[in-house]
Formats: sequence, structure tokens, C-alpha cells
Amino acid sequence: MRKLTSYIILSSFIVLVVSGCDEFLSHSDPTSFTKNNYYTEPAHAEAAVNAIYEDLRAVRGGGFGGAPWLMTEFQTGLANTELGQATNSLDIRALDNSADNGYGQTYWNSHYRGIANANEALANIPNIEQLGEAQKNRLLGEARFLRAYYYYNLVRIFGDVPLILEPVGLDSENLAPERTPVADVYNAIVEDLTWVESNSGLPFNNESGRVTMGAVKTLLSSVYLTMAGYPLQGGDQYFQLARDKAKEVIDSQEYRLFDTYGEIKDVSLENTGEHIFMVQFDAEIVDHNGLQYVTLPYNQDISLFSAETGGIFAQEEFVESYESGDKRTEEKQFYYSEFSPVSDRNTTKNLGGWYLYKFFDYEANVETAVSGMNWPLFRYAEVLLIFAEAENEVNGGPTTEAYDAVNEIRERAEISDLSGLSQDEFREAVWEEKFHELSFENKTWFDMVRIRKAYDPVSGTFEDYVGHQFVYGPTLSERELLYPIPASEIRNNENLSQNEGY
Amino acid sequence: MNKCNIGTKICYDFVLGIKGTCLLTVFLLALFQAGVANNLQSSEKSYKVQLVANESSSDTQKKVTLKLDEVRLVSALEILADEVNVGLALQVNHIPDKKVTLNLDEVSVFKALDALLDGTGLEAALPSSRDVLIIRKNLKMQKMKQVESVSGTVTDAESGDTIPGVNITVKGTTTGTATDSDGQYSLTVPSLNDTLVFSFIGYEIQQVPINGRTTIDVGMTSEAIMGEDIVVVGYGTQQKSDLTGSVGTVDEDALQQRSSTNVSQALAGRVSGVDVSLNSGEPGGSPQIRIRGSSSVSNTNDPLYVVDGVMLNVERMQSGSHAINSIPPSSIESIEVLKDASATAIYGARGANGVVLITTKKGTREGPRVNYDASVSTGSVSKKIDVLNAEEFLRVEEIAYSNAEKYDPAGFAAGKYTNPVDKRTDPRLFDSSGNPLYDTDWQDEAFRQAITHRHNLSVSGGDQSTSYGIYLSYDDEEGVMKDSWLERYSGRFNVETEIAGWLSAGGSLTYSNQSQKELHPWSMRMLYESIAIVPVKYPDGTWAGNEDYPGMEGGPNQRRVSEESIHLLNTQNILANIHTNISFTDNLELRTMLGTNVITQEQDRYSGRTLPFLSRDQNGVASISPSQNANWQFENILNYSNDFSDVHSVNAILGQSIQTSHSSSSVAQAWGFLDDYFEYNNLGIADNPRPPNSSTSEYSMSSVFSRINYTYNDKYLFTVTGRVDGSSKFGSNNRYAFFPSAALGWRVSEEDFLQDHPVISNLKVRTSYGLTGNSEIANYQYEAGLGTYTAIFNGSRNVGVGVQRLANPDLKWEVNKQIDLGIELGLFDNRISVEADVYRRKSEDMLLERPLPRTSGYATVFENIGSMENRGIELALTTYNVQGEDFSWSTDFNISINENEVLKLHGGSDIETGGGVHGGGAGSIIREGLPVNTFMGYISLGTWNTDEAQEAAQYNRLPGDIKYKDVNNDGAINQDDRVPIGNGVPDGYGSLINTFSYKNFEFTADLQFMYGNDIMWEAVHSTEDRVGIANALGSVLNAWTPDNQDTPIAQLRPTQAGYDTDNDTHRMQDGSFIRGRNFTLSYNLPQDILNPWSIRNLRVYVTAQNLFTITEFRGYDPEISTSGAPFSRGRAQYFEYPKSRTFILGVNLGL
Repeated sequence: MRKLTSYIILSSFIVLVVSGCDEFLSHSDPTSFTKNNYYTEPAHAEAAVNAIYEDLRAVRGGGFGGAPWLMTEFQTGLANTELGQATNSLDIRALDNSADNGYGQTYWNSHYRGIANANEALANIPNIEQLGEAQKNRLLGEARFLRAYYYYNLVRIFGDVPLILEPVGLDSENLAPERTPVADVYNAIVEDLTWVESNSGLPFNNESGRVTMGAVKTLLSSVYLTMAGYPLQGGDQYFQLARDKAKEVIDSQEYRLFDTYGEIKDVSLENTGEHIFMVQFDAEIVDHNGLQYVTLPYNQDISLFSAETGGIFAQEEFVESYESGDKRTEEKQFYYSEFSPVSDRNTTKNLGGWYLYKFFDYEANVETAVSGMNWPLFRYAEVLLIFAEAENEVNGGPTTEAYDAVNEIRERAEISDLSGLSQDEFREAVWEEKFHELSFENKTWFDMVRIRKAYDPVSGTFEDYVGHQFVYGPTLSERELLYPIPASEIRNNENLSQNEGY
Repeated sequence: MNKCNIGTKICYDFVLGIKGTCLLTVFLLALFQAGVANNLQSSEKSYKVQLVANESSSDTQKKVTLKLDEVRLVSALEILADEVNVGLALQVNHIPDKKVTLNLDEVSVFKALDALLDGTGLEAALPSSRDVLIIRKNLKMQKMKQVESVSGTVTDAESGDTIPGVNITVKGTTTGTATDSDGQYSLTVPSLNDTLVFSFIGYEIQQVPINGRTTIDVGMTSEAIMGEDIVVVGYGTQQKSDLTGSVGTVDEDALQQRSSTNVSQALAGRVSGVDVSLNSGEPGGSPQIRIRGSSSVSNTNDPLYVVDGVMLNVERMQSGSHAINSIPPSSIESIEVLKDASATAIYGARGANGVVLITTKKGTREGPRVNYDASVSTGSVSKKIDVLNAEEFLRVEEIAYSNAEKYDPAGFAAGKYTNPVDKRTDPRLFDSSGNPLYDTDWQDEAFRQAITHRHNLSVSGGDQSTSYGIYLSYDDEEGVMKDSWLERYSGRFNVETEIAGWLSAGGSLTYSNQSQKELHPWSMRMLYESIAIVPVKYPDGTWAGNEDYPGMEGGPNQRRVSEESIHLLNTQNILANIHTNISFTDNLELRTMLGTNVITQEQDRYSGRTLPFLSRDQNGVASISPSQNANWQFENILNYSNDFSDVHSVNAILGQSIQTSHSSSSVAQAWGFLDDYFEYNNLGIADNPRPPNSSTSEYSMSSVFSRINYTYNDKYLFTVTGRVDGSSKFGSNNRYAFFPSAALGWRVSEEDFLQDHPVISNLKVRTSYGLTGNSEIANYQYEAGLGTYTAIFNGSRNVGVGVQRLANPDLKWEVNKQIDLGIELGLFDNRISVEADVYRRKSEDMLLERPLPRTSGYATVFENIGSMENRGIELALTTYNVQGEDFSWSTDFNISINENEVLKLHGGSDIETGGGVHGGGAGSIIREGLPVNTFMGYISLGTWNTDEAQEAAQYNRLPGDIKYKDVNNDGAINQDDRVPIGNGVPDGYGSLINTFSYKNFEFTADLQFMYGNDIMWEAVHSTEDRVGIANALGSVLNAWTPDNQDTPIAQLRPTQAGYDTDNDTHRMQDGSFIRGRNFTLSYNLPQDILNPWSIRNLRVYVTAQNLFTITEFRGYDPEISTSGAPFSRGRAQYFEYPKSRTFILGVNLGL
């Protein structure tokens, strides 16, 4: 009998083992969807596209380590810093940049994540059956616009970059992709944007912060303008396209220049008026305090914010390069050099440098210590300047329309209208206007490599990019036409090569 | 059927927890068990240990008549016991499975026993005080040269009754005899200088030096049935001498020598190969334990903790603590550390990092006994760090200003810099001539004499069938920094009972409640950075702070952040198990165990409305973060043991285990409070509630395992172990894995040629090889999880769902292959004993969170790629240097040397770990050919000298700037010049413990040493690399000047003028040290004083802990890490909580 009972116990063990308890060992993640159970409802499509927007914020921010968006500013030679520990900033400013620079890594990583989310959305949304056609096209349009925007940054910063337009899995060939020639990347960008232009049905303008047709056409005109210049040098055909797209935006009369510079950074006017497309922040949801930290003078106690890092301010020569009387260089327009200390708001103190008032959230610094300020990606002022530049190229010289466009900006700056210029003179005048108007908005360096010229703030002239010496010493070389591919990326993908000189 | 109630209850509870096919199987198992129990009850009885309750008194003088025909021996013994009305105690596996035929008429009990046990190698004993007939193995008797004769009587010390059957041996020999039925013995011994050892089941072993006497009477004291050399191993116990694996033990005595808060502290330095790193002096600080190095790159390297058979949660809890550390050391009877594959393989997939087995104290079969242990201690910091005083700080500021023009001519010209002398006008801080009013020593303000109390009370008792124990403990620990403390209550109850001869059951329940107040990291930082010229508070009672002096980086002052930033952590840990033992036959038993471990934690935080940097911008920040970890396990283990033909001994287990672990957590946070009154107690009153977070996760394991120990002739030992584990963490492709191991041992000293060897008294060699696994990765990694994103439209939050985790359905277990060769050597009657091991452990198919090309949109994926190796030597030496009657001195020494090397990574590419550093780049890397987690940094060549101005200019530097080595000679200093410069893991470590005893005094001196561990002291970033915006280390007074060029510290200048701050060889320091860890003097009050008071024992002691530390490290303590991350060892990103030097007064009282 005892033997029997032993056998029973033993056999029950065996049953337990053999049955394997597979169900017992199957758990699904209750906190997140998996690809197997997602992309089935219209709401899933909306959320999939929402995700693509998040990485627009990734390169913003700021703190004691600087901020990724400073990367393109410090390679213009027009920016200064007093944040001694921000090696990423200092290396770039001294033109000692290396592939380990964290700013470049953030650009690369966040933009490709945005692209991956766009690819998922584009691959899966068409299969959601209950999704109405109009909603589907709108969502696909937003996804394609954002993918194009991310690639447009990547191709200008890093040159040949892997072009990935499908979701990637562990067994995809694209897991370790090779670099795609710049021209192909531009073609993909244009294809995305032109598809959106004709198929998405996006509204020309709205205040939600979502992609609009105005943003699509503005981006497209910027892309065409770049394709006309370096490195593709597509020439007049692209100037014409750039001009036409900018003109469509102007003619739509959906946008206008604000009357004052204060309105550009007025939180209540975000996504309206001059703003065509912005990176959205909100004090209650995702604040943008970092922008304040990194643009405030170093520990001068003028702000309620605990962190004042002096991460970036204007090189003095650059501020002095504006025409005399230019409204933009008046105290507390684009820049400021004095402010009241927290301890006594009735006095002012000299800050010893030109700090960026463009991004100064007055209410946050003086009253609330929380900033929800958006970051402008495209302002109407840029459309006017793209139009002016392209119009000048297409017509062999400035037209009245071209003058009107640039002078609209000058009038707001309370400086005299341009007139009677040759094609070459007008071209340089527009560039100079653009550098002055869109300063520190992550535009200047992209224009510099597009035109292969650098602005010398002392002489007020444009010099060849390669060989241009910054006012504080270092000289640009061919190498600085691109940033290095992040070292970690090359380590993890043997199919990638590094840019020349890094 | 009522006998199965406990069994069925277990099954029932268990069935509720699972589903599907599994449910059916387990249910069947439950039914079978119920059936088995019925069968057992209705058929023959089982005999493991049967104690008959004596309603009438026993009658051992009675003459018995036995007529037996082909009756099994055990049955015959039982019949005899029944006959004389006594209980029967025997170990079933010692009783041969033979049948006896006897015809005895009116003989004495002992005569009958002689007849029954003839030829079995067994002997019987019937102590008159106990009414129990004890049957056990006979001692091997050996003839020796015997010259003298000793005789005497052995009695029970309590009752005075004589005890028959007591073993008496001559110490260090196998010469011996046993007392007869009258408790008398007679023995010939080699000399009258020898020592006799008296032993008997149920009594404490006594050693009595003969000292020339020829008559020695001995009184024996009762003790729980537990041999000295029994070692707890996975799912069972073993004789130490029969072990084939490498197992380290810390027993109760050793635990009692130190007063410690947690198990990690108690374990430190006790076992070779076990590296306990006590990273912080903070109450509740989270030590790290590594057994034979780190086995894995991506996983936790924490060992598996098993408390009384219940596996603890492996996930690290909030604040980096571990479930094990909420169990009071006072409740622990022994700690066993399983190190090699032979010992750990029984835990299969969870054994890769070693296993720590904790056995808690159990009830006794006598009693009740009461123990009370109490101690009070006072701690203070043993070291202060040199920082600038008021005068020095102001002077440094002036020097810096005088160099501003040199380093920033443009800014100087534009008026960015003002003479600091001009701003010293605040009447709160300066007198009318600009001299400071205060010179605050912030370390004096922050530190205190910390008082700690510990109280433990236990009551245990029982009778011959039931034992119980009740344990209460209370700890109230103050940190040496004000505002930090820990308070813990814990209670435990256990009971073991024999329901019937074939069935016993028991269980235990432990509950602990621990509250601790932690300091915000800024408390440590501001200890150095608070400037001496400001006071803690102004005379009007308002807080002062750095920001009161213009131009400062304005962190809140140290006292203020400690008081106003509240970090509370509450942990409740419930550990429970119930178990049953069923004996089917004399050799086969089934143990069933249901265990659970539930940990709930809540972290409550509030940071005040006016605290700069922390919560002023948010107008107060409050958060509450509850979490729960619950796991349960259900195990059935069959144990078979038998001896054959006197030379073969087999012990085998076959077991099955299933377990599930569930965890959940959430965080609620709010900003913007109208008053500090509410703290974290009412988040709803805040005007800016933040988005909430929550998550849950669950995994299950199902395992089958077996181990066979076979011993031939007590000389040759074989162990084979195998375990199959299935885990929900892996996809269906690779859910199961098999982990085998094998080991051989040879007790050389049992061979004839070593018998009676004059020098070698014990020699054993053993070797093992086996596989263990590691599966401690996050759950669900095999499937493609999508992540949560946030988009903002129209000023409101819109949820996004996008890429997060790349699916890897082929993910499988990480496998560790370990080979171990060990030797155990005893010399001169074991007065010198040595245990040494060499091992090699290779982790293959390492679960690597391999970095992906980011073009994929994913950062990493878990893959089985890469391998790593640990090689090491462990040596433990114990010597009894002097063993006199009054004075004895013994020494324990152990040293462990481990070498780690990463052999292979995916595509050979480095993995960056440890987060970024101020200068950019990663703090440390994992690279092929290097030890895991090697510090990266520049090579500091000091500072540029005046005559190197030209060379310095090439790097845009001036004389007085820091000079880094241009490793690649490209004319620029950038990330490409950062190289591997050190490692935080020691090359070797160990302890030297000397114990002296004189009469009733005992003194223990415990030294700890470690060498070859580097420390990356990143704390100097803010206190040495930059000056003038906060306080700095005194070392900045040695900064570069034209007259002091040979220095690693750059010329002082305002920070805005530019400076270098990077991890480099100047920051990295040698963390080697020797520490006076524990010195204890104790006194046991003599028995003759205690007896009249009915006190069993009374011990008083004084202890000095952490008395001294000899090291070159500049910070507080070289055992350092400022984060709980797996590879944070030796990296101090900010300042560490200092360890205290502690003096303890304690008492152990037993009634």
C-alpha cells in the first residue's frame, strides 16, 4: 500500500511536469499595448500620430549641461556661453567637436524615434477598417509631414543618413542600415510633403498646434530653397518651387507679421498670427523651464528660477552688427543687457552681455517660475524672406514683390526700406536680414551651409564658409559643413561610416 | 480525513491562484495527497519519530516477552516500546529494512534490545528521565594504544537521573564508549592529559579535560536536537563533512558578535567570496552583495535570498533597498551562502549570482525560554572634510576675481565682473568694514551624536510534539546626520507540531514595519557647498542661505534642505510559510510548502514652497508613491534516504515548485501649495496636479528539480543535481531550460593511510561543475510593447502610443558555467583548518541589453549575446592558537580575490553605463577585455606651466588651466581623448578576526581590508573645479599660481570665465583601506551567580564599530556609491552619507 501511494505521488509530479503549465507561464503586459493587439480602432490611429509629435520637444529643454538645440548656434560663431561645464557647447564653439558630443546624439536619437513612430503609423493606419477616409488622410498627412521634417533636419546636420521608411524589427535588413545619398533623402522628403499637399485635406491654418497646410507649404518652400543651394545645387528650378510655395502661403492671407516683437513670445498668441508651426509646451503638462534656465545670465539673481546658467547669449559683435536704430537691438526686444535683481525690482543691474530676450518668459521669471513657452519652428517672417530670396533668383534681380517682402520685416524693425539693389546686393541683404531676424532660432547655421557663406559681424559682409574665422579665433573648415555621426551609432552599426574629418 | 485538513487547505489556496491546465494537475495532486493521507492512516503506521503520550508512567523495569515472526525491525522496535510504555525516537534511514524472528521470554528491556539490534550497527538508549527509547547508529570503536583508565557516571544536570547510552570519546580520536543502563562508563585512554567528549541526542556536547583524574562524573544539559556541523543547503541539510559544494556559514554566535541593522551588515566579512559593500552610513542604506563577482552585464547581480525556504522578491524596492534588509538579524539562527554550481544548481535559473539561505530561529521542545537582548549605541562621524572657512572663502573669491581678466578679457571689459569686496554690504552678513559676521561650520551643524536602541524579546518553548517561538524586535536608529532616522518593529511567530507519527506540520509568519527618513541628496551636497559666511538662521528666525550673498548658485542651506525636504519611506514586509511533512515509508517523505512574501512600500515626499532648486519654482512639490510586491510559491519535495550494506549511503530529492510574482506601483505628484502645512497629506489641495503614473507586472515560474547525494564508505562523495525551469519572462520558443551540475568529494583523511596521522586530522578535496541560470530581466521583453507618449494640442494633453520595446521572441536564459576546486584541510586535531577554493565562472548567452542602432527608433533590445568571466581564489583560515583552561585565542582570516573580464559583446561595441558626466560622455563603459564597468576619463597631467604657454595655446588654454593628455595627438582635447582609467570593484578583500577568551571574558577584534578599488569622486566637480559660487574644498587653496605651478588644481577664476571639469585621473582615487570594523568585549556572568535567580545566561558587552579606517581616499569613507544602480560601485556623483564610528553597550539575557 505504501508503495502504491508513493507511485501516486510520483506520478502526480510527472503529470505536473508534463502538462507544462503553459498557460500558467503566459502573461501579457497589462500596462502597455503590444503590436499584436494595437492598431485596431480609430482612436489608436490618433494616438499613433500623436506619438510622433513628442520628439519635436526632445532637442529643446536646457539646464546645467546646456541643451541640444544650442548645437547649431555655436557653430555660427555668433553665440557665446558662460556655462563652463557644458563641454558639448564649448567643444562646438571652439570647433573642437567630436563624435561623442551628446547634443548630436540627441538630435539623431530623437529624430529617428520620431521617424520610427511615423513609419509605424503610416504602415498600420491604412489597415484600420473603421477609420473614415478623411480622418485617415489627415492623420497620414500629419505623419508624413513630421517624418519629412525630421529627415530634413537630419540630412542637413549629418549629410547622408539612413533613409528608413518602413517599421524596423529585429530581423529587418534596416536594423543596421547603410547611409543613403543626400539626394535620395531629399527626394523622399519632397515625396512625403507633396503627397500631404495633395491628399491630406489638412486645414490651411488652425490654432491647435497640429500640422496645417500652411506648415506643409512653408516646410516645402524651405526644402526647395535648400535643394537649390548646397549640397545639391539644384539651381533655378528649385528657387522657382521655393518661391511658389512661399507665395502660396503669403497669398493665403492666413498669416501676418506681429506688430511688436513682444507678441512673438506672447504665450497667449501662440499658434496664431505670425506662427505657422510651433513645438508645443504647456506649463501644466510639459513645461519649458529649460529654455529659461539656459538663456538666463549665469547666477545674476534676476529670475525666480533657481537655475540661471548662462548657457547661451549673443556674441557682442553680432548684436552690434545690426543697423543703428534697428528696433530689434533696442534693450529688451531681441536682446537685453540689464535687468532688475530679484531682491529689488525697482533697480536695474548691468548683466555684462547681450542675453536673448526673444525667449525671455517675463511672467515665468518674475512671477510664476514655470514657463510653458512654445518654441517657434516656422514664423511668417521666414516665409517672407524665403520668398524674397527665391524671387530675386528667379527673376534675375529683385522685384517689387521681393522688396515688399523684405521691407515688411524692416519696417517692423523701424529701419529704412531696401531699394535700388542689384541682384547680388539684394541677395546678401536678404541673407543679412534673415540672420538678424531669425537669430538664435536654429536657422542661421542651416542657411550658412546652404549658401556656403558665413556672416562676418564686424565687416557686415558674407565670406566663404570654409576659411571663415570667428571673431573669437577658430576658423571653419570643410569638416564643419556637417556634424559627426554620433560615435555610439557607429559603434552599434558597422554599416555606417563617419563624416570626413571626425 | 481530518488529518489531511492542513494538506487540503494548502492545495485549495493554491488552486485559487492559478488557472487552466495547471489547475487540473494541481488539483489532482491535492486529491492524491488527501488519498495518500487516508491510506496512511488506515494502514500501517509510520515510524519516523513517534512519541507516545504517557498517561500511565513507563515501566522500563518490566520484564518483557516478545514473540516475533518475520516482523520488520521498525515494527518490532515499536512493539517493544509499546510494551514498556515509552516513546520511540529513531532516524528511519538508519534502520535496516530487515525482518526479525525472535522468541524472548521474560527478559529485561535491554536484553530484548540487544537481541533486536544485533548485527545492525545500531544501539539503544533509554534515559530514565525521558521515557523515550532512542535508537541510533553505533559509534565506530577502534582499538588504540591505551594506557590509562577513566570511569564515572553521567547524569541529567536538571533531574539528576542517570543517562544510559551517552557517547564518550577521547577528543581528536575515535576511541570511545557509551554509558550502560545505569549511566556508568569506563574507558581506557591514551593519557590522562586528554579531553573527553560527552555527547548524547538531546543534550549539549560537553568537553571535559581529564587533568589527571581517573573518575569523572558529568551532568548533561538539554539542548535542541541540532548537530554542530549540520549545514543548510538548498531544500535540505547536510553534514558539513559530506558537502561536495562550496558553502559558507555564519552561525548564531558569529551573528551575535555584531550588533547590526540588517543581514548585509551581519554577513559582511564573514564568508570568503562574499563581497558586501556598505555604500552609505545612512540608516536603511542599501548595501550591495556580490558573490564571486558580477555575473551579468544587464541584470541584477544580487544573489537569491531564501528565508526558511521562501524565496524573497528579487526586484529592488524603492530607494534601492532589498526585502532581505527588513529582516532583523537577531531573529536569524544561521546564514548559509551557496557559492559554487554544485550548491546553487538546485536553484537553477535563479542561482547564477549565488544563493543566501537564511534560517530563522525556531522554537524548542522544552521551555518556555525567554531571551531578551538589548543594546544602546552612540555614533558620530569619524572624519570631517576640510572646506573653506569664512575668511578663506572670501579670500578665494577675491583671488578668483583678480584672475577674471586673464581668462575672459572681453567679459571683463564689458563689465561682467564686479569686485566681490564691493558686494559685501548686507548688514545681516557683514559689519560696516565688510568683514563677515559668521563663520559657520556646516559639518558641525549637520552632524550629531546619534543614539540607537535595539530590543529583541523572544519566548520559545514546546513539548515533545510541538514547539513554538515568538520573537519581537524593535530598532530605533538615528543617523549621524540630523533629520535622518529609521524605526522598525517586527514580530515573528512559528510553530512546528507532530500531528501523527507520519505527519508533521508547521508554519511561520513574520511581519516587519520599517519607517525611515532619508535625506535629500542636496543635504549631502550642501554640507560642503553651504558657505561659511551665512548662518543657519538669522537672529529673527528666518532661514539664511547661499543666495543671500549675491552671485551664489543659491542651493538651500544644509539644515534647511534636511528639515524642509521630507523623504519618508515606509516598508511592510510579510513573510509567511506553512508546510507539512508526510512520511510514506521509513525512507521516503514528502515535504509540502506554501510560502509567500508580500512587501508594501510607500514613499512620501514633500519639498517646501520656498526651497530654491528643489521646489521653489513649483511652489512646493508633494508626491506619494505606493508600491506592492507579492509573490507566492508552492513546493513539493520528495526526500529519499537510505544506507545499504554499511557502505552505501544515498540521499535523493525530487521536487516541484511553482511561483508567481506580482508587482504594482503608482506615483501621484502635485505642485503648487498654498501652505507648507499639508506636506504630502493632501495632494488634492494643490493647484497643479501632475499627470499620475501607474504600472503593474507579473511573472511566473514552474520548476522541477532533483538532487542525488551518494556516499561510498564515508570517503567518496558524489552529488548530481538537475533543475528544469520554465519562466513567463521568455517567449514560448525558449520557455524552459535545464540546469545540471555534478560534484565529487574525497575525504582523504578517512583513508587508511591518513588514519591517526600526526599532523593531518582532516583532509577533503572536492570539485564541481555545473550550470546555473539568470533570468532577472524585466518582464515581457519578448513581446513588442508600445510606450506612452505625450502630445499637446490646444493646451491640453493628448496621449500618444508609439514604439518602446523591440520584440525578441527568441530571448532565452542566461547560462553560467562554473567550475570549482576546493580543499578542506585540518591540521593538529583541527587546530588549524583551511578551506580554499579556486573557481572560474563564465556567463554565456548573457542577457544583454544591447544598444541598437538608433535609426531603428529603439535604444536597446534584450538579447542573448556576450559573455563574461569571473576567476577567483578564496581562502579561509581558522586557527586555535592557544587553548588553555582559562585562556584561549583563535584567529579567523579570509581573503577573496576575483578577476572579472568581459569576453564578448554584441559586435564588439562598447556599452555606456552609469549615466553621463558633467564634461559629457559616459561615466563608465563595458568593453571587451576590460572588467565590467570601467571608469572613463581624461589623464590629468596637472596644470599648464608658464613655460608651456605656447603649447597650451594650441589647446585654447592658458598657463594655470588643467592640462589633460592629448591621447590621440590630434591637437585638440575632446571626447576622443577619454580612456579607461580605473574600476570600482576591488581586486581583493577579506577579514581578520581574532577572538580571545579569558575565563568568562571574550574579546573579538574584527579587521576588514580591501584593495584595488578605485573611486571616481565626481563630487569635486562642484567643490574643487569651480569656486566663488558656493563653498569649496580646502584643497583649492593649493590652486595654481605663478609661484605654485606644480599642482593639479587650476588657477582660481570666476566660473563665468571658463573652466574645465571632467572625470579624470585626478578625481579618481585609490579606495584601498583597512578598517577596524568591530571590537567587542563581552562578559558571561558565571553560572553560580545566575542559578539562584533562575537565569540561564547573562552576557554583557561593549562594542566599538568602525573604530578606524586607514585609507588615502579624501572623502568620508572608501566604501562608497551614491546610487543604487547595479554598476554604481565606487562612483560618487555627489557626496556620500558618512559612516559613523559607533560605541555599543549591550546585554543578552536568557531565562
